[in-house]
Amino acid sequence: MNLSKSALRRYKIIDQALRNKMRPYPNMQELIALCEQLLDYSPSIETLQKDIANMRLPYPDGFDAPIVYNRLKRGYAYSDLNYSISGIPLRDEDMQALAEAVEFMQAMDIGRISESFNHAIEKIQSASIEQRQRVQGILPVLQNMTLPQTRGFEHIKLFYKACREQMPVSCIHYSYKKRVFNVLMLHPFLIKEFENRWYIYAYSETHGSVRTFGLDRIFEPVFVKTTFIKTDKAQAELFLKDVYGVFPVPGAKKCTVKIHVSQLGTQYFQAFPLHSSQVIKKENSGTSVICFTLIPTIELARFILAQGGHVKIIQPKWFKQFTSHALL
Amino acid sequence: MRSKKVEAYLVHTEPAKAQDNPRVLRILLLPHATQIDFGYVAPWIYKRGGWIRIAPHTHIKCHGANQKFHLLDSKNIPIAPKHHHFESVQDWMMFSLWFEALPATATHIDIIEEEFPSADDFNFYNISLQPRIPLIM
Repeated sequence: MNLSKSALRRYKIIDQALRNKMRPYPNMQELIALCEQLLDYSPSIETLQKDIANMRLPYPDGFDAPIVYNRLKRGYAYSDLNYSISGIPLRDEDMQALAEAVEFMQAMDIGRISESFNHAIEKIQSASIEQRQRVQGILPVLQNMTLPQTRGFEHIKLFYKACREQMPVSCIHYSYKKRVFNVLMLHPFLIKEFENRWYIYAYSETHGSVRTFGLDRIFEPVFVKTTFIKTDKAQAELFLKDVYGVFPVPGAKKCTVKIHVSQLGTQYFQAFPLHSSQVIKKENSGTSVICFTLIPTIELARFILAQGGHVKIIQPKWFKQFTSHALL
Repeated sequence: MRSKKVEAYLVHTEPAKAQDNPRVLRILLLPHATQIDFGYVAPWIYKRGGWIRIAPHTHIKCHGANQKFHLLDSKNIPIAPKHHHFESVQDWMMFSLWFEALPATATHIDIIEEEFPSADDFNFYNISLQPRIPLIM
């Protein structure tokens, strides 16, 4: 059953009106008035007629609702007085779908995002799904690397709210490299996860530019009541699309990075593209030249170094030098 | 009846001098308390980074005045006689202290761990409480 949110709201209002024993047999005008009152808009007669027809449709297209029109009373009613669309129990197919969804979400560790989401999952599990699995002896068939919770992850909800509602944040930052504490006034616009590490992209008043901050190095963030400084949309999109990893090499601009890859390495690049801009040109021997169009990052340099002799940078030369000399 | 609006402010302290350790990072002027956030980097002069603690009689006062605002609570730093021992000279710690709330008229404060301090005590003088940034509670 594919329902739009507004249709579902109307169904619920119709259901509520049909079950109201104080005002039985509502007619079309009364249903419209009720929708107007509860939804702040007035649906047409045709819309409500369609809604009633849809509610009457058998499962899985509708709710199988026993709605009848009483000519004598000139209004609608349920022929089964105990019927309600919100009282429909979950069927086996629904339970199966829910169980699969929960298992998938657990495997992806989505629950870490929000404590309340975890509670919601627990409720579903305790209701029946986990029990069903135990009874039938079904083992989970999806598993990923679930790492222990990292420092700073507890602030993700606050930064999510800051990004969504454009709220400036004051926080304390510790730089591992410089061994220095700083107080920052941030105007965050993006939270990014990379290799189980979480980062905040924000305009930093302290630095006067857009910066990236590891959540593990941020302490005591609090919302402050000042004007939010918005980051230019084009600049924000750069961080979304044109990078592999998180930290651009200082001063780097979007460019073509060309690498030479061994036969074995080529197989892996084919199976696991590094970036959406990846283009592979295979050579006769099975080796390849791979091009990316992106902003070179520290993480890209690290990745290339980690491949050892399988990957060599052809261009740009400055990035080749950076990767071979930089202490990463 | 109109409820009284609770006001809270934040002060980002001025950048520290290189020798400041711990560094006073931020002061939160809350309705019920004054929160002061510090950053401490374990120095290389001590074996394994040494240790830190805060004296229970640590207090704050308005600069030039005598009234003491006492220590209420601490986070990430033990109150003496307990110590936190670092494990290496690369260790660091961000800690917070809560004191009794300051009057709204306070403009500069002193943080006093010892009235007659040695070089190791955490005493700070004449810290400005301006500019104040309103906090969202």
